[in-house]
Amino acid sequence: MKIIRGLFLSVGVLASAGMIANPVFADQAADAAQTAKAAESVDTSAFKKGGPYKIGVSAGYLSNSWVVFALQHVRWEASKHSEIGDVVVTDAAFNPAKQISDIEDLLRQNIDLLIYWPVDDRAIADALKRAVEAGVPTVQAGGGFTDNPGTVSNAYISQWQLGEMVARRLMTDLGGKGKIIAMLPIAGTTAAVDQLDALQTVLKEYPGVELASIEYGDWNRAKAKQITENLLQRFPKIDGVFSPAGQMSIGVAEAFDEAGRIGEVTMSPGDEYNGWLKWVEKNKEGGAVTFPTRAGQVAVKIGFRILKGESVKRGTAVPSAYIAPADISKYVDQKAPDDWWASELPAEFLPKQ
Amino acid sequence: MTAFAASHREVAAQLMSRYAIFIVLVLVYFLAVAISDAFLVPTYIFNVVRQVAPVGIAAIGVTYVMILGGVDLSIGAVISLTSVLCAVQMNGDQANVAMAIAISCAAGAAIGTINGIAVALTRVSPFVLTLGTGVAVLGLTQIYSGGTARGIVAPGFREVFNYRIGDVVPVLAIAFLALAVLGLLVQRFTVFGRQLFLIGSNRRAAHLSGLSMARVTILAYALSGLFGGFAGIALLARSGVSNTLSGQGLEFQVLAAVVLGGTTFEGGRGGVAGTIAGILVLVIAFNLVNISGLPYHMQLVVMGTIIIVASAVYGQISARS
Repeated sequence: MKIIRGLFLSVGVLASAGMIANPVFADQAADAAQTAKAAESVDTSAFKKGGPYKIGVSAGYLSNSWVVFALQHVRWEASKHSEIGDVVVTDAAFNPAKQISDIEDLLRQNIDLLIYWPVDDRAIADALKRAVEAGVPTVQAGGGFTDNPGTVSNAYISQWQLGEMVARRLMTDLGGKGKIIAMLPIAGTTAAVDQLDALQTVLKEYPGVELASIEYGDWNRAKAKQITENLLQRFPKIDGVFSPAGQMSIGVAEAFDEAGRIGEVTMSPGDEYNGWLKWVEKNKEGGAVTFPTRAGQVAVKIGFRILKGESVKRGTAVPSAYIAPADISKYVDQKAPDDWWASELPAEFLPKQ
Repeated sequence: MTAFAASHREVAAQLMSRYAIFIVLVLVYFLAVAISDAFLVPTYIFNVVRQVAPVGIAAIGVTYVMILGGVDLSIGAVISLTSVLCAVQMNGDQANVAMAIAISCAAGAAIGTINGIAVALTRVSPFVLTLGTGVAVLGLTQIYSGGTARGIVAPGFREVFNYRIGDVVPVLAIAFLALAVLGLLVQRFTVFGRQLFLIGSNRRAAHLSGLSMARVTILAYALSGLFGGFAGIALLARSGVSNTLSGQGLEFQVLAAVVLGGTTFEGGRGGVAGTIAGILVLVIAFNLVNISGLPYHMQLVVMGTIIIVASAVYGQISARS
């Protein structure tokens, strides 16, 4: 048996050696370059026009709770401006080809501003460029920063900075030593790549902390739990968990709890996902680093300024904020479902429960 | 003497063929034990059974449909819908649990019945038809939920399903095994079970024998939908959150397990026991690469290889016999 196990592991280790050796600072550098690019000013005089304005929203998808909250923020902010009339929304349901036709359809409806979040940036780059050429400004909401010519401005959230905040808080809570695991979103996504890079960069300052395993839970609570059940068998002791996405953090914590080992582990902050906030309030640890759904609101504000001909930046970061466990009661809603986000949306704009 | 030996070999070959998937399951299990001692720990083994409960339960119903020569691609969407429906109907109140479970099962069975009626009464291929139903049900789920996971799981619901009898066996794992036994009994010992095999293997003979093919077809799809409903409830019990896309993609895991278990797309052969073995092969393959500590991308390569080798070994054993 030992021979089989040895063979199995050594083949795997050899074959994967190339995958581990990725340039650690690539994404930190990219993040810095992005921040510099985002600070550039954009001349918006070509888009200046009088109201009433019709806003088109091309959603790459509307099937998760985060984007539904982001969209409600778009509607809320639009309702505050008397010059904004209709808000027309299309849903591409993760289909890049449909998002192209959605954008074309919105342009045919004579929209004055296009707010979007992409399925795939490259797929819609041409369609967005046509919008800009036709005099319709475009604002990307909530995704990563993009400087395609078809995107006039961005309301973006930096996954790298979020990952760094989560990692630093975990290191502090751990006291700078111990064995940790990382639970990341879908392998290969910007979120997973940037969060891991931020963690590895922070880890360089903490030689006493060992990253024992990197796992991908696909933003799925059940999968995160399943993987953690395996990790608990592999490691007799795990001191900390780096998990920036709250919905996975709950699955991880549950697996520790069921194994009777929740006492040994320090959970990192998750995001402001309500199910996670409920866990934090109950257990008084972990806290949250926000992934703000108000990115939708910021996008409308930027778009409104563009239509007024005011100068805007290429990108406006919607910053993540840390909420300590002691303050979590101000954000958690015990009566709302787990799949819900802490936000400042007024009641009439909250999604239906 | 020679004739006896020959028939002896024939019987042995038949047994090998029938139990090929179980041989593969045992082989994969031994491989898993060789990689990690965890596969000898009862609590962990039952964790694995509980992990696979939603997909496994759904696969039981789909097996009936596939024995018949059909297919049910709407099963993933049914799981998503019933899981959301169950959470919304519960609305965080224990008093609503029974009603919520009943409504979810009824919804699953109703969608299955619609599939069954359409397959029985039209000439549309079940593949296209159930694909269409799946898309429509996904849309209905999104409309019903508004994109967010509506509904709050009642206190106690998850605690009951995840309670470990004797600190080892979770109730959800027992529920899955109980439904598997029930599914097996229906297939083996009821007239309906035998009718499935007759229609699947020889439609003309079934027709000429005066069998009401429409009735059997509708019942098979209705059961597939009903088991999809059970699976949605099981998924809710496992994950605790009624995400609108939670069942998305599960139809492929279900089909892989059913086919690996020996039930073919042509129909007329296979069965629930094989499906359960097939699903266990898949889940052990995932867990063994995960527990081995291989880097993520290598896990995918090794897991794919295990599945390919397992199905090749299975094919080899079946072909030899």
